[in-house]
Amino acid sequence: MKQLGSLLLAEIIKEHRHSFHSKMIYFSLLVWPVINFVTAYYSFAPFRMGADSPLARFISYEQLPLFLLTGYLGYIFYWCLVQSSWQMSFERQAGTMEMIFISPVNRLAFLYGRSLSSLIEGVWLFFCFVLLALFFVDGIQLSGWWAPPLAFLILLVSAIVWGGFLCVLFLFSRDSSFLYTVLDEPMLIFSGVRLPPMAFPVWAKVISFCFPLTYALQLIRALLMEGASLQTMLPSMGLLAAVLLVLVTATVVLLKLAEKHMKKTGNMVMY
Amino acid sequence: MFHVAKATFIRNTRVMIRAYPWSFVIGHIFSGVYTVLFAFFAYHYVFAGQLDGNFVHLTGSSDYLSYAILGGAFYAFAVSTLMNVSRSLITELREGTLEAVLLTPSMRRGYFLGNVAQQLMRTLFEFSVIVLVGALFGLTLSHTNVWSAVLVWILSTGAFFCQALVLGSLMLYFRDTYITQNTLFAVMAFVSGVTFPIPYLPEWLQPLGLIMPLAPALDAFRQCVIQGAPLHAVLPQLFHMAALSLIYLVIGVWGIRRMEKRVMESIFG
Amino acid sequence: MLIAENVRKVYRVKERKGWFRQQWTEVEAVADLSFRMVPGKIIGLLGINGAGKTTTIKMCSTLLTPTSGTITVDGYDAVKDDRFVKAKVNMIAGGERMLYWRLTGRENLQYFGSLYGLQGQALHNRIDSLLLQVGLYEAANTPVERYSKGMKQRLQIARGLINDPRYLFLDEPTLGLDAPIARQLRKHVSELAAQHGKAILLTSHYIHEVEELCDEVYIIDKGRLVAHDTPEHLTKSLHLDTALQVVIPSLSDSLDYDLRQLVLDYGGSREIAETDEQTWEVTLRGKTDMTTPLLSLLAAHQSPVLRLSTQQPSLEDVILHMADRRGA
Repeated sequence: MKQLGSLLLAEIIKEHRHSFHSKMIYFSLLVWPVINFVTAYYSFAPFRMGADSPLARFISYEQLPLFLLTGYLGYIFYWCLVQSSWQMSFERQAGTMEMIFISPVNRLAFLYGRSLSSLIEGVWLFFCFVLLALFFVDGIQLSGWWAPPLAFLILLVSAIVWGGFLCVLFLFSRDSSFLYTVLDEPMLIFSGVRLPPMAFPVWAKVISFCFPLTYALQLIRALLMEGASLQTMLPSMGLLAAVLLVLVTATVVLLKLAEKHMKKTGNMVMY
Repeated sequence: MFHVAKATFIRNTRVMIRAYPWSFVIGHIFSGVYTVLFAFFAYHYVFAGQLDGNFVHLTGSSDYLSYAILGGAFYAFAVSTLMNVSRSLITELREGTLEAVLLTPSMRRGYFLGNVAQQLMRTLFEFSVIVLVGALFGLTLSHTNVWSAVLVWILSTGAFFCQALVLGSLMLYFRDTYITQNTLFAVMAFVSGVTFPIPYLPEWLQPLGLIMPLAPALDAFRQCVIQGAPLHAVLPQLFHMAALSLIYLVIGVWGIRRMEKRVMESIFG
Repeated sequence: MLIAENVRKVYRVKERKGWFRQQWTEVEAVADLSFRMVPGKIIGLLGINGAGKTTTIKMCSTLLTPTSGTITVDGYDAVKDDRFVKAKVNMIAGGERMLYWRLTGRENLQYFGSLYGLQGQALHNRIDSLLLQVGLYEAANTPVERYSKGMKQRLQIARGLINDPRYLFLDEPTLGLDAPIARQLRKHVSELAAQHGKAILLTSHYIHEVEELCDEVYIIDKGRLVAHDTPEHLTKSLHLDTALQVVIPSLSDSLDYDLRQLVLDYGGSREIAETDEQTWEVTLRGKTDMTTPLLSLLAAHQSPVLRLSTQQPSLEDVILHMADRRGA
C-alpha cells in the first residue's frame, strides 16, 4: 500500500510536470473548448428563440449559455481523461508500460491514480468556471452552498472511473486513435453537452444513457441550474452509481484478461 | 514535374494500401456524420422545425437541414484536404525521409501535386459517405446543379491545397501537428459559416471568415446544391476564393522553402 | 572536382530565458574549411571535438547553405545551381533513416529514381543492377520494415547510388552494424572509388575504418581544420612511439640492468610487469625500432622468448594525441 502511494505520488508529479507547463494543456483545456463552446452557442442562432420557442420545453432561453457552459465543463473533464489515456497508449509503444506490470502494485489502483493525476489540472478549471458563471451568466440557481462542491465531486468520481476504463481500452487495442475518434464525438452529441437528451427519440436516448457523462451532467445541471433538493436527485444518483459500478467491473475484467493474455503471448495488444 | 507527381502519387497509394489510415478516414467521416446528427436532432426534436426569421433572409432558403448537413460535409472535406497535404512534409521529417527527398533535384511542386491528387480519392470517398448519410437525414439534392457543384468542389480542393501549404509551414515551424491543426480547425468551424450564417457573428469577428477559403467555397457550394445556382451566379465567391488561394500560395511556397532550410539546420544543430 | 573554399557555417540557436525573453546565440559548426574531392579518391573527415562533419556533408549535398565561402561541383555553385549539383551528388547516412519503411526495397528505389528524373526501362535496369550490386535482389519485393539493419543499410547504399552520383558522401555509414557487415560495406566503398571512379567523402567514428579506406584525411577540431595528410604521413609526422612487447619466463637482475641500458641508449622508456602466469612482460617504447638489439640482448642472456609483438602507432593514437594536446 505504501509503495502504491509513492508510485501514485510520483505519477501525479510526473504528469503535472509533463503537462502543466506544456502548451498542450492550455490549448486542449482552454482555447479549443472556449472556441467550441462559442461555436455551439452560435449554432443555435438559426432557430427561433424566445420564451415561446420549442426550446423552452427543455431549457429556458435565459439558461441556454449556462446549459452549454455546464455541458462543456463536464465534457472537458471527461476529455482530459480521454486525452491522457490516449497518451498512455504511446507510453505503451515506448515500453514504459511494462514497468507497471512488473511492479507489485495493484493495477486497478494505478489506473485510477493515473486518471486522478491527469485531472489535477481540471481543478483550477472548475473554479474558473464557477466564478465565470456566478458573475457573467444569468440563470444560476444553486441547491445550496454545498452544490458546487458536490457537483465537483460527482464530476471527479465519474470522470476518474471513465478514465480508468478508457486506459484499459487504449492500452490493449491496436489502433488507439480509432477508438479515440469513435468514443470522443458521440459523447459530445449524445451526452447532452449541446442538446438536452430528454428531447431525443428513444433510440438516441438509449445511446445517451450508456455514457456516464449523461448522468453526471443531469445531476450537475440539477444542482447548479434548477436548485433541486437532494431527495429529488436520489434516483439519478443511484443510476449514476450503477453505471459506474458496471464500468469498474468491466475495467477489472478487461485488466485480468489482458494480463493473462500478455503472460501467454508476451504481447500487450489484445484486439 | 509531372512524373515526380506521378511517382509521389504511386508511392502514397502503395503506402495507403499497406497501412490504410483508417483512423483519419473514420475520424473525418464521423465528425461529418455527427454534424448531420446534431442538425437533425436540433431541428426536429429540440426546435420542432421552427427557424429564426432572419435565417431565410440570410441564406436564401428555409432548408436548414440541407444548409447544416452540407456545412458539416464540406467542413470535413476541408479538414481532410488540409490535413493530408499539410502533414506530408512533417511526416517525412518524423520518419526520417525528408533529407532523402530534399537531396533530389525534383520539383517540390510535383511532390505536392502528387500528394493532393492521391488524397483526392480519400476525401472524395469521405465526402460521399457523409453526403449519403446526410441524404438519409434530410439533405435535399433535387435542385442541385450538378456540374457547377462539382466544379466548385474541385476549385475548393485547390484553395484548401494553397491554405495547406501555409499550415504545413506552420507545422514545420512549431514542429507540431496536433495543436496547430486543431486550433485552425476550431477557428474555421466557428467563423466560416459551417453551422450558422456568418452574419449572426458579432461584426468584429466576421472579417475572420473572409480569410478562410472555406467560407466562400461553402457559400458557393450551398447555392449550387440547395438552390441549383449556375456557375456564373457564384462568381463573386469564386473570385474571393481565387484571391485567397493566390495569397496563400505565395505565402505557402515562401514559407515551405524557408522552413525546409530551417528544419535542415535544426536536425543536428 | 568538388572544391570547398573557406566554408563557414554558423547556426543561430534560440535559448529561452524565462517566459518571454529569449536569446540568440551563435554556434560556429564549421570554420574556414577548404578541401577537394577528386574522382577515384576517398577522403576522410575526422572530428576531435564537437560537430562539423555532418554539417560539412550537408553543405556539400546542398541541404544546408554555407554562411560564407563557396562549394563548387564541376564548376556549378552548390547554392545558386543547386539543381545541377543535386543531380551529381548523393549522401548515405548511417542508421535506419532515409527509407520508406512501408515500401519494398524496389519501390523505394523506384520512387527515389523518379525524383532524379529517371523513368521507364532505364530506371528498371538501373534498379536491377543496383539490387544485384548490394545483394538485395531476392529481398527486393519485401517491405523495408521487415529488413534487418544490414539490409536497410545496403538499400541505403543503393538509394545513394540511384542517380549514379559522381560525388558520394558517407556519414557514419557503418554506425550500429555488425562487424562482418561493416567489413563487407567497407569493401564495397573502396570498390566504388577504385573501380567506379567515384569521389567519396567519409566520416566515421571508427578511426580504423578511415585509416583503412581513405587516401587523405582531414582532421577538424571544433569545425576548424587542424591537420590534412595521408593517414601514413599523419602517423609518421607526429613521431609517436612504437611499442615493443616481449614476454619472458624470468627476469634476472643483470638482464634488468641491460634492458635499462638499452632503453637509455635509444632514448625510450620501459615498463616491466609480472603476469599471472609467473612470467614477465617487458614493454619498450621509443621513436626507433628496438627489436634487433632487444633480441640479441635476450639471446646473450639465454632467455627464451614466449611472445614478441610490436605495435606501430595508428591513426587512433594520432587523434588521441591531438585530443590530449587540445585539452579535449
